[in-house]
Amino acid sequence: MADVALEAMFQEARRTPAEVPARLMARVLADAEAVQPMAPRGEWRRWLGGLGGLQGLGGLITACCMGFWLGVAPPQGLPDLAGAMFGVQADQVDALDEDFDGGVLTAFGWDIEEG
Amino acid sequence: MVISATRIDTLFGGACLVPPSRLAKMDMSTRPPLSPAEEDDEAALLARYAQGDAVAARRLTTALTPRLFGHALRVLGDHAEAEDVAQEAMLRLWRIAPAWRRGEAKVTTWLYRVVANLCTDRLRMRRSTRLDDIDEPADPAAHVEQGLQDAARADALQRALDALPHRQRQAVVLRHIDGLANPEIAVILDTGVEAVESLTARGKRALTQALIGQRDALGYDHDG
Repeated sequence: MADVALEAMFQEARRTPAEVPARLMARVLADAEAVQPMAPRGEWRRWLGGLGGLQGLGGLITACCMGFWLGVAPPQGLPDLAGAMFGVQADQVDALDEDFDGGVLTAFGWDIEEG
Repeated sequence: MVISATRIDTLFGGACLVPPSRLAKMDMSTRPPLSPAEEDDEAALLARYAQGDAVAARRLTTALTPRLFGHALRVLGDHAEAEDVAQEAMLRLWRIAPAWRRGEAKVTTWLYRVVANLCTDRLRMRRSTRLDDIDEPADPAAHVEQGLQDAARADALQRALDALPHRQRQAVVLRHIDGLANPEIAVILDTGVEAVESLTARGKRALTQALIGQRDALGYDHDG
């Protein structure tokens, strides 16, 4: 009999769950909003993130510029790949300028080729 | 990122260690309140929350907070403390969301375990600081005279629960009010299934003894 009464009380407790205060729900939602990670904002941001963000992109641009300049005017002691490819040497640029009537030598020697 | 026991331990100061490998081994087939599809929903919602979906946060809050609050209220018997525990458990869920790995642990089991540990901490603190601060139980007969028999029964059950040792109380509430299966309760309480069976059996015996003298006042001689 006592077991039946106890089971009836359990059933009643299951049927009538405690009412959750609205302030608790509001607090939980506020916490959720406060610590929620930001949603991804577009494809280009994901691409930028893959490069390491703005810092990574800045480093990549600097490296590209540096590489381009080394191709235009390699320091002494480094192989002159542009010169080897197009048959001119970087230290001959001034002479070439005169020879080609004021033409400008670029990294790839396009002006020379056309001139 | 992989959730490991060590990682969770580090995140939450060791109070709520949840080894996912153990959670994954549980037999969930007998747990009545949630179907596997619902469990998948909760894990999916958590993944969506981690990706910035605000709707997922609302749905998880609505689905989970009442359960956690109800459990904490039954175990602690105090509204304010139960609110704090439920909020803290949900906050820990929000924080772990980006690192959550689906399939290794059930969201609800993890949460119940967090709540159980938080309740245990509070009960231990209360035992050491509030021995003289326990309210005298109200006379259930007074409620009956006012026609509030249901409230009297609920109060009587809560008082009887409050008198149980806290492990028995947690096991009884998880089994008989929250409706969880013994294997899941074993994980939540970090013990074995046999120990859970023993805790619930002893708890029920103690509840019966506590309530047996109140049967007349609670109206069980007439309707139940």
